[in-house]
Amino acid sequence: MTQPIPWLDGPLWPYLALILFAFLPTEIWRWLAVALSRRIDPDSAVLDWVRAVATALLAGVVAKLIIAPPGVLGVAPLWLRVGALGVTLAIILIWRRRIVVAVLAGEAALMGGIWALS
Amino acid sequence: MTVQADWRWQRVALAGMRAALSFPAWMVGFGLVGIGSLARDVGYPVEVAVLSTILVWAGPSQVIFFASIAAGAAWSAIAIAIAFASLRFLPMTVAILPLLRKPGQGLGTQLILAHYVAVTGWAEGLRRLPAIPPVQRVVYFIAFCQTCMTVSAIGTFAGYYLLGALPVALAAGLLCLTPIFFLTSLVAGSRDLRDGLAIALGLAFAPISDRFIGGGFDLIVSGLVGGTIAFVVGHRRVARP
Repeated sequence: MTQPIPWLDGPLWPYLALILFAFLPTEIWRWLAVALSRRIDPDSAVLDWVRAVATALLAGVVAKLIIAPPGVLGVAPLWLRVGALGVTLAIILIWRRRIVVAVLAGEAALMGGIWALS
Repeated sequence: MTVQADWRWQRVALAGMRAALSFPAWMVGFGLVGIGSLARDVGYPVEVAVLSTILVWAGPSQVIFFASIAAGAAWSAIAIAIAFASLRFLPMTVAILPLLRKPGQGLGTQLILAHYVAVTGWAEGLRRLPAIPPVQRVVYFIAFCQTCMTVSAIGTFAGYYLLGALPVALAAGLLCLTPIFFLTSLVAGSRDLRDGLAIALGLAFAPISDRFIGGGFDLIVSGLVGGTIAFVVGHRRVARP
């Protein structure tokens, strides 16, 4: 457990920690984007590139959450986590509009697998 | 029924709320149930868990925050990891703000709009906003995102008290909603070869750079490399068919 910074410790510490170490490091990019977006032409190739980088970054976050799972998700072995993601991917690639079906099928595969293995 | 340019703002807001409640809001809401349980594990009050959903509004940042405290990481390391994981908001926000721009829009409005940018609002916004008349987009987007945020705040609150009591398979399923839904939104929102390639390369490069690039730089590197390759290949295909 990370201990509070001593001279800032007090009943409000959890709130302070949230603002300093989670809110600000996240929000700063949104603020920076507002400052930058006013100088970028909406139809420019730069924006196409920016969108491609954002998409690849998000896909990377997905891969990372599957390789290094948070909390109790670790009870599912790697092959099961990858398999559940594969089921979702296959369905959404075949039926582009079936978001609900794809999510539920992936979830069913994961939870069914954990239940069967335990 | 698509949003019309002559609708009053109340009707536009209702359309945005309905679009969110048709599925996306529940998705994010259930996805953030896990945050409540992670906050409780480190002994932080329920208010901090709910505030993290409203203020941070980024599942991965919240996961890193509470999971790192549990693991005993240094505060500076936690802030740096979150900053790197959130760098994606810079290109995402830059990409969506032009769709929401109106003449005479103030800085305050833009900062509020930017705060709502997270995966769901972004992916659904890029997909839905182009079909909506420009004058109605701001109201629609805020109504959509605020509905998602409200449902998620309730989900985080419920998770704080309930998740530990759930069967392991169900709790794991809730924690896996975030990656499964992120991927579904990305694929459903992809429009061309470039988008598809960016998704595929992002998925493939992240495990590789996770292995070879340390210090929290791995996601940025894989995103920059994968996104740039996708952009160059997609651009060539468009320029010379």
